[in-house]
Amino acid sequence: MKHACRQATKLASDALDRRLTAWELLSLRFHLLLCSNCRQCDKSMKIIHETAELIRHSQYGDLKLSDEQRRHLLEVLDKEAHC
Amino acid sequence: MSETVNPQQWLQEHGDYLYRYAMSRLHNEDLASDMLQETLLAAWKGHRNFKGDSTIRTWLIGILKHKIIDHIRKEIRNRNLSDAIEHDPTSAYFDSDGSWSEAPRAWKENPEDLCRSGQFHGVLDSCIDKLPEKQRLVFRMRELSNDDTETVCKACDVTSTHLHVLLHRARLGLRKCLEIKWFGKDERS
Repeated sequence: MKHACRQATKLASDALDRRLTAWELLSLRFHLLLCSNCRQCDKSMKIIHETAELIRHSQYGDLKLSDEQRRHLLEVLDKEAHC
Repeated sequence: MSETVNPQQWLQEHGDYLYRYAMSRLHNEDLASDMLQETLLAAWKGHRNFKGDSTIRTWLIGILKHKIIDHIRKEIRNRNLSDAIEHDPTSAYFDSDGSWSEAPRAWKENPEDLCRSGQFHGVLDSCIDKLPEKQRLVFRMRELSNDDTETVCKACDVTSTHLHVLLHRARLGLRKCLEIKWFGKDERS
């Protein structure tokens, strides 16, 4: 059973990026049921995943172009538009 | 159709949105602004390609997305990142029989509290910075920018199988680093 920890953490990581096959899901669930270390690791990866999602939504939510950036972009566009 | 062909108006209406998109991928103000400029110019030159079957915003985001992917591909080529010999942390965390060499600890804090803590942001950033370059790149794109697998694979020129290997390594590396630098404090205090 123990030798499967490395593989179980790979499946737990994959589950955050793709749909596991029925067999993969079953073997992951079975392993997690019996292995507290991998349960802990699975939980940690999910905490990182969810925290990253929250940070993503809060990080640039109110960000706007500065007046200077906007002025510069308008200048460039005006110049190009008249070529 | 003709009233939509106005890059100044695009900037006015969609500039902040496009800028936020670019910043969430590039984390660099000058670079994000440059990409926005290139996008508006490319859109202006290629406005005949706009079919009107999507909104202007969707069309502009599509162009920006391609510009960003091209930029990342170029970066990778320039720095000549090898994808074969990146550090595999999994060998350090598991014994030769594949079981944990050191038991992972319980993390007690929840994502909401972690997100609210500016101090945690700093620790997370420093742990991400410590990852090998390619792992860092795919982790940022996937977890912090929420790019889909296809986009990350295209930008980084890896297969999806390899991407999943890199993400597994990145997550285990990050878990270990955070455990030492952040979650380890619980037990000491």
